[in-house]
Amino acid sequence: MRRVWGILLGVLLLAGVGAAVVVGRDTDDEGGGGPATVSGVIGSEKAEFFADPEVVAALADEGLTVRAQPVGSWAMDDVDLAGHDFAFPSSQGPADALRADHGDVGAPLRPFYSPLVVLAHRQAAEVLAANGLASLEGANVGRLAMAEYLAAVEEGRTWQELDGALAQDGLSGALYVSSTDPLTSNSGALYLAAASFVANDGQVVADDAAIERTAPLLRTLVRVQGTQQSSSDGPFRDFVSGIGNPLVLAYESQVASLLIGGAGAGDMVVLYPDTTATSDHTLVPLTEGGRRLGEVLTNDPELRRLAVRHGFRPQGATAEFTEATAAHSGYLRDGLDGVRQAPVPTADVLRAMAERARG
Amino acid sequence: MRARTRIAALLGALALAATACTGGSDGDGDGGDGGVAAAETVRILAGSELADMEFLLERAADETGVRAEITRVGTLDATRMVVSGQADGAYDGVWLATNDYLRLHPEAAQRILTETSVMTSPVALGLRPEALDRLGWRPDDLTWSQVHEAAAAGDLTFGMTDPTRSNSGYSALISVTSALSGAQSALTADDVAGSAARLRELFAGQRLTSGSSGWLAEAFQQRDDVDALINYESVLLSLDRAGTADLEVARPLDGVVTARYPLTTLSSASPEAVEALRLLGAYLRGADAQHALTQETLRRPVSGEVAPADAIPQGQRRELPYPGSLDVADGLLDAYDGELRRPSRTLYVLDTSGSMAGDRLAALQDALRRLTGADNPAGQRFRDREEVTLIPFNDAVVSTDTWTVEAEGREDALAGIRSGVDGLVAEGETAVYASLIEAYELLAAEGAQDAFTSIVLMTDGENRDDVLAADFQTFHAALADEQRHVPVFTILFGDSDRAELQGIADLTGGELFDAVNGSLDDAFQEIRGYQ
Repeated sequence: MRRVWGILLGVLLLAGVGAAVVVGRDTDDEGGGGPATVSGVIGSEKAEFFADPEVVAALADEGLTVRAQPVGSWAMDDVDLAGHDFAFPSSQGPADALRADHGDVGAPLRPFYSPLVVLAHRQAAEVLAANGLASLEGANVGRLAMAEYLAAVEEGRTWQELDGALAQDGLSGALYVSSTDPLTSNSGALYLAAASFVANDGQVVADDAAIERTAPLLRTLVRVQGTQQSSSDGPFRDFVSGIGNPLVLAYESQVASLLIGGAGAGDMVVLYPDTTATSDHTLVPLTEGGRRLGEVLTNDPELRRLAVRHGFRPQGATAEFTEATAAHSGYLRDGLDGVRQAPVPTADVLRAMAERARG
Repeated sequence: MRARTRIAALLGALALAATACTGGSDGDGDGGDGGVAAAETVRILAGSELADMEFLLERAADETGVRAEITRVGTLDATRMVVSGQADGAYDGVWLATNDYLRLHPEAAQRILTETSVMTSPVALGLRPEALDRLGWRPDDLTWSQVHEAAAAGDLTFGMTDPTRSNSGYSALISVTSALSGAQSALTADDVAGSAARLRELFAGQRLTSGSSGWLAEAFQQRDDVDALINYESVLLSLDRAGTADLEVARPLDGVVTARYPLTTLSSASPEAVEALRLLGAYLRGADAQHALTQETLRRPVSGEVAPADAIPQGQRRELPYPGSLDVADGLLDAYDGELRRPSRTLYVLDTSGSMAGDRLAALQDALRRLTGADNPAGQRFRDREEVTLIPFNDAVVSTDTWTVEAEGREDALAGIRSGVDGLVAEGETAVYASLIEAYELLAAEGAQDAFTSIVLMTDGENRDDVLAADFQTFHAALADEQRHVPVFTILFGDSDRAELQGIADLTGGELFDAVNGSLDDAFQEIRGYQ
């Protein structure tokens, strides 16, 4: 056994050196021959994607072995990226900031995206609908009226003030959506982006005056929650586990992945906010290897298929996502018509907003 | 130039792949293809209640090749170790009931690399069926407000861990403070102050306190005069299933605080350890492990594929937020320790025989002096309203001096205790049982007190007196209920006799603390959780 490996290794080594030499001569063209290990940091919501054996195999077919370390997207700035080939935050803001810090190996690539949604159990969704804060489009899917919801939180409305809320369903106390720490986690930051866009009369927050104007609302959205979790996996797992706050902010991809994986979502209702922010998974290449990873994720049909299986919407055509989620249309919307996409402020503005909100 | 760098990089990558392959050829390497090989052992600082996950960690070692080396510690102690950086290098990960308290420290963000939720369990109330009948309650629609009313009226007694030591106690404290203050969102300092009177009434019903949930369950089993136990739902359901205690489990409608058990990787961990913890986390999140953990430990799974064990009650409960700032969180602990809980009545029966002379006496004096620091955090000093008696003994009791610590004049009382400690002198023989009997007689003479009363016995040798263990047993059996329930926490030190001290702890419902293999300082600190 050991000998077989020895021979194989010898061959690999020879082939590798050969390829390397060829690459070296071929000015700037892509090698693609030898297997290469690329390492990088990723937003935690992509950890399961990169750990999936089929993804590992598909990447290996493209000559890539990927070592991915989950780190909060907005905390990547603080991580020492020396020796890494790429950073793959879940939003364009941190990607732009990273790109500014680390020079230009190639344009950032956006292989897939996922909109933010709010998860509710059936009773909670029905109470919201009965009180004009949401509308249901089916048993397990609906729309959250953002302006009305934000006004309710700002006024300090409680569940027990809403018609039909029962403490037996966990519906008492302040009405709010649980999100993650906006200073370290992407979904928490995007929540503030969407809320501030609504509060700023449909304008993206871009200056001190707008930060000032939206600060009280954002402060309330965060303060009611107490300690926030640091990654979107936490609140989502709480929801699946049947504990935690009745309303939880999540990526659509987390729900889609659960459903496509065959696990039931029970009485979960997926509420698409009528104004939402979208997670643009943006790969910042730091080396040639990182750039190549971004390209195969964007273009390789097998990797696109696998991205859909993990709940992401691939960039470009929607057919792949529609097809894969056809059986789950009771929970998921096909297209995102009528869902207004709030543009995300720059990383600096968002950080300033998050700091004010955390107070 | 550029080409050469690239060749070097590619060769580097190949070398890495080669190491991975060699590792794989030796057998079980399940580390995936290439990348960093996972460490075979990861060192994890874990909450003591995770002892029941040992079986699954062994299975994980078989399946993943990653063995978890567990060091058990309380949540707040672990938090201090992580925040101070003391855990860096010594441990690769932490696994606690919650990271919420840890996350309140600004330093924590840099110390933590990543975390994976593994399972959940809310802190709930377990009631003996007789108590439930007597009070006319149903587990499905019970509230903390009802619990408060019953405790205030003297109709309900309960046990709970010390919030300054243990997460289940702290979670319970957040729950009752939220419920009794009427707070609709995360607690503020005003909520804590505004509900103090009601919280004091509630805690008047507390009969058992402890630094760990394991001891609390044992003590509860022996005390059928205690009606209820506050602990993790999983612990309460397990006690009921094992027949250890007959319990109905209620998650109060006005809200619970739930433990999430995130497996957490420290930033200081090596790449190999990071990879090993990732494999371990992925295994624990898999369907097999999720099924096993809900069936065996009665915690709730976090995987959509696995249903919770049948014994776990259904229905949502309001989740009460963890305080959003360290000021509020620590303020709540200070309030509990200093003014909300029942006061402590503490007797220290201390061996000052000749064999204690020198380093031993100095170590004892240091350990006691440390508890007199006026600025120590909650739970690490003699608390306000505590009555402390020092009873040094050799051939007989040498002296009996008592101080009462009050918020006003606190420094004077603590200075008094310090002077008592400074005055200890080592000489003479060791009369363990006769001295212990005197401590109980002192309590009997004081009569009934509304306090957590306990005795600490520290000795460095065997009993050398003609009052023997059998005499103490006879004496103890004849005590009135009030005194017979007073536990003796014994400290094994120097050349003391383990069997003798274990016997005293068992007979009185106390616990033995080992300062031979641990430090005297740690033993005295740990015992604070039981006083």
